[in-house]
Amino acid sequence: MLEVKELSVSYGGLRALQRVSLSVEAGRFVTVVGPNGAGKTTLFKAICGVVPPAAGDVRWDGAPLLAQPAARRAHLGIAHVPEGRQVFRTLTVRENLEMGAYPRAGRARWAHTLDRIHTLFPILHERADQLAGTLSGGEQQMLAIGRGLACAPRLLMLDEPSMGLAPAITETIFERIAQIHREDGVAILLVEQRVAEALELSDHGYVLETGRVVLDGPYQTLLADDRVRRSYLGMGEEDA
Amino acid sequence: MRVGGGARLRRDAIAMAVVSVLYVALASLVHNSYYQLILTLVPIWAVLGLGWNLFSGMSGLVSFGHASFFGIGAYTVTLALVYLQLTPWLGIPLGMVVGCIAAVLIGLPTFRLRGHYFALSMLAYPLAMLYVLQYLGFQEVPLPMHREHPALYLQFAEPFYATLVATGVFVAAMVAGMLVENSRFGLALLAIKQNELAAEAAGLDTRRWKMLALMASGAISAAAGGLYACVLLIVTPDSVFGVIVSAQALVVTLFGGVGTVWGPVIGAAILIPLAETLNAKLGDVIPGIQGVVYGFAIIAIMLAAPEGLFWTLRDRFWRRPPPPAKIEEHASSLAVPAASGTLLEVRGLSKAFGGLRAVQDVGFTLAHGEILGIIGPNGAGKTTLFNLLNGVLPADAGSARFDGQELRGRKVHAVARLGIGRTFQVVRSFPRLSLLDNVIVAGYGAGLGDHPAAAAAEAALEAVGLADRAARPAGELTNKELRLMELARALAGRPRLLLLDETLAGLGREECDDVLAVLRALRAAGMTIVIIEHTMHAMLRLADRFLVLDHGAVLAEGLPRQVIEDRAVIEAYLGAKFLARHSAAGQNA
Amino acid sequence: MLENVLNAVAAGLIIGCLYGLMCIGLGLIFGIMKVVNFAQGELLMLGMYISLYVVGGFTAIGVLGPYTAPFVGALIAGPVLFGGGALLHRFLLRHVSGLSTAARLDQGGFGQLIVTLGISLILQNGGLILFGSTPASVRTPLSAKAFIIGPFAGDTMLFLNEGRVIACAVAIVIAVALWLVMERTRLGKALRAAADNPIAATYMGIDVDRAYGIAFGLGAGITAIAGGLMATYLSFTPFVGLDYVIIMYSGVVLGGMGSILGAFWGGLLVGFVQQVSALVLSPQLQNAAIFVVFLLTVGLRPEGLFGRSAERA
Repeated sequence: MLEVKELSVSYGGLRALQRVSLSVEAGRFVTVVGPNGAGKTTLFKAICGVVPPAAGDVRWDGAPLLAQPAARRAHLGIAHVPEGRQVFRTLTVRENLEMGAYPRAGRARWAHTLDRIHTLFPILHERADQLAGTLSGGEQQMLAIGRGLACAPRLLMLDEPSMGLAPAITETIFERIAQIHREDGVAILLVEQRVAEALELSDHGYVLETGRVVLDGPYQTLLADDRVRRSYLGMGEEDA
Repeated sequence: MRVGGGARLRRDAIAMAVVSVLYVALASLVHNSYYQLILTLVPIWAVLGLGWNLFSGMSGLVSFGHASFFGIGAYTVTLALVYLQLTPWLGIPLGMVVGCIAAVLIGLPTFRLRGHYFALSMLAYPLAMLYVLQYLGFQEVPLPMHREHPALYLQFAEPFYATLVATGVFVAAMVAGMLVENSRFGLALLAIKQNELAAEAAGLDTRRWKMLALMASGAISAAAGGLYACVLLIVTPDSVFGVIVSAQALVVTLFGGVGTVWGPVIGAAILIPLAETLNAKLGDVIPGIQGVVYGFAIIAIMLAAPEGLFWTLRDRFWRRPPPPAKIEEHASSLAVPAASGTLLEVRGLSKAFGGLRAVQDVGFTLAHGEILGIIGPNGAGKTTLFNLLNGVLPADAGSARFDGQELRGRKVHAVARLGIGRTFQVVRSFPRLSLLDNVIVAGYGAGLGDHPAAAAAEAALEAVGLADRAARPAGELTNKELRLMELARALAGRPRLLLLDETLAGLGREECDDVLAVLRALRAAGMTIVIIEHTMHAMLRLADRFLVLDHGAVLAEGLPRQVIEDRAVIEAYLGAKFLARHSAAGQNA
Repeated sequence: MLENVLNAVAAGLIIGCLYGLMCIGLGLIFGIMKVVNFAQGELLMLGMYISLYVVGGFTAIGVLGPYTAPFVGALIAGPVLFGGGALLHRFLLRHVSGLSTAARLDQGGFGQLIVTLGISLILQNGGLILFGSTPASVRTPLSAKAFIIGPFAGDTMLFLNEGRVIACAVAIVIAVALWLVMERTRLGKALRAAADNPIAATYMGIDVDRAYGIAFGLGAGITAIAGGLMATYLSFTPFVGLDYVIIMYSGVVLGGMGSILGAFWGGLLVGFVQQVSALVLSPQLQNAAIFVVFLLTVGLRPEGLFGRSAERA
């Protein structure tokens, strides 16, 4: 469904991504892990068209995605839940969700998706008329995910949904993501710092370091890999 | 004089001398008095642009109100001549003094504002002055004629001499601008422009530098205004305090290029003759057509060269290879005098943002030469704790004593000067400046003189292993080098304590090891370090002790091994499976 | 004395509503696009002249009487400048604002300043060529009539110029309508989303450049309508914008950027201060009074009087 081929991105001389390739099949759960600044967010931004790639290709359903203007991509069924949540702080919770449903597909299924979002995150129903900027971090994250779902996407991209959240809420968020994947059949592309939890949810994982994919495979393979264990799970280093 | 600034200053001075001499030579050939007037006005508007650039161009605080100073200069010269028969030779300096005082009075309240609010508030001052002068009855004040003493009253029968005087003032303003550009003053302003907070953290008293810049800028702009009054021989509030004057200051500078003395020169040299010629040639035929053409001209140039002609042309045609690095054996070392006992003692430190308690009752002590690792989930209050320690935020309660001195209540730059260096999560370099200049700024911030600052910067670059890249522009650095540069900046103030915020973020394994080696070497030289970091494998190898924060409070403290086996830490930060994996890995190894 | 005060207060409120509408136009552009538009005064001026010519045309063909024509003229200026504003954005401002410049160090701010200054010069001087420098005005017989309230409390009477009262009513209706559009409609919400967080808005599928074009058009149109309404009671030249652009910025900054209602209240306050200060200050000092109030307010409350903070405190 989504196919990233040899994608490179530079920020003024700095190579942020170097020939990164990955793919997400319909209904799959794919995770990208790696240290801060390894290029995970840049990868997302390039897929969503907010930063221009220097080279490479991105295909969506086999058609070139890079040719599409950034704002078109949500209309094609790609939802992006950005790093740091980025809710519309001066809009109410309800208005945030309505903005998520801006594309035609979202409007067509609005009543249904709103129900679904409220079932997943009842708090968003309770807080419907509150300004989003007044929500707590965890509630904002739920809103950001709900807003992503509102366009009835086929691919939900989540950038570090656990960032800055208390562990209990992180757990809830991960459970909901798994639930969305399981019950709604939405493909998930997840970037996470919490490597262990993220990999366990996913079908396939990629390890990104300094802009390069250094490793990829099914999650069991990655969890068993020595480098992953040392670098990302903090294991065995000082004993080695 | 800034170390290394001499070469550029000499080059610019020669260029300016050549330009001025050619200009005067050209003017001496012009006998048409209207064209001569244009030639007189070019340096005057260039001086106003130079004044604007010295403040707004260099500090990044856009002023829409430089007509305040221009008008003050014009009216001071005029009124001094009318009422005191004071020659403009004294009137212009007097106007500069008044402009300087006005800058203080305007700056004091207005520096509290930021961004657009600052810019638009500046717009209000000249207009208020304009209306007040109209009210006071100074609608049209002609300068009394003193044709018998043309040189004394700047009322030359031969207009060429006015051009000569204007060029002289221009040269003085250029020299002032170039001196600022190549001094610690200019570097401090550049640092403020790029990141005010980082500049404060490097020890710069940003408010003071901004005020000095506005004062110098006010004086230069007032000189332009005073001269303008002498040339036109009549002042009206609209012609010297009007929006058009403020706009002219912006237009000539933005058109030519912001942040360089050459910007206003290029802008004035092209735009003033263009505007005046259009006015003369077309103004009579179709009134207003000159404004339309002029408007289209500046828009067209701006769309083609959004950063101004100077930078666009320079980037396109004149990419000089950087001069070879010339770091002498550093005369100074960064070694910290050996000491023992407690360096930092934090007790009950708290900070709330409304209802959110970002830091709650945090206390810890830090011994000389220790490395303390602070870990915890994002949003746990780690960076806020640093902000409280170095004065970016005021604490609500508690105390932090550094070497016996209370840190609470001190401003950022004051904390830096006590000997606490800090790095930030997001590195903000000054991309057009050399690596060395990037670091020298921090040395100035620490209150060092020109040569000691340069020496400290060189020593700092040596300590982080970047000495060979000192002359490269910071824009060319890799992520790891940027991190090391940030570290060098913190070191250039000769701190005894380093607060490092995610210095290893985004580094690959080997890069991470390189930085760790630098940090260990610093510790060996006596440095005390507090580091916030998520990269657990590195933290386990680096830190002597861990402090775990969660929801703003200390969750655990102790030796790394104890901490990572702490149940609460595992739940809040490491994850339920961390220990299982950790010990499994340990057994396997 | 009481009569003077009451009349000044009434005039302040009426003029204030017109200023309020004018400020909403600028507030839309400033609040949504974060662009300092120096040409806003010229948009006001164009509104005045369009209204003038429309009224002339109506009178010539005798469709509308002298009572309604000035107000219809003002309303027609709106859509005309909406189109004009959208075109200006498409061909000029788009290149120096929005996502295209977000990455630059100064966020394209310097380029924007020059471009809007250039537009201002072109419109001013173009206006001079097209309309000439003779002061013009849109006369309505209503301007010579007044609603008289009173006498009350002895012989106090309130005189309300009919032309201005109707202009004020039209301004309030348009302000409320615009507020409803911004609060209730999908378009209004999309504009607010694009202002709040342009990148996130792009992720939602909102074409931010197009949203900015609409915002600029709306801002231009609203200010033009205000200009058309104000043309019924003052005489103007192509340079009238210079006098009002500052007033508009004072109002918008006072009200707090990014809020439609705030801009309206800010404009109202400026008009009010200007009119009421006439009781004690000479005409030249009235505008100085505005700036003093402006500087005081901004100094004490940098977020503006009505700026709302949506931060989790």
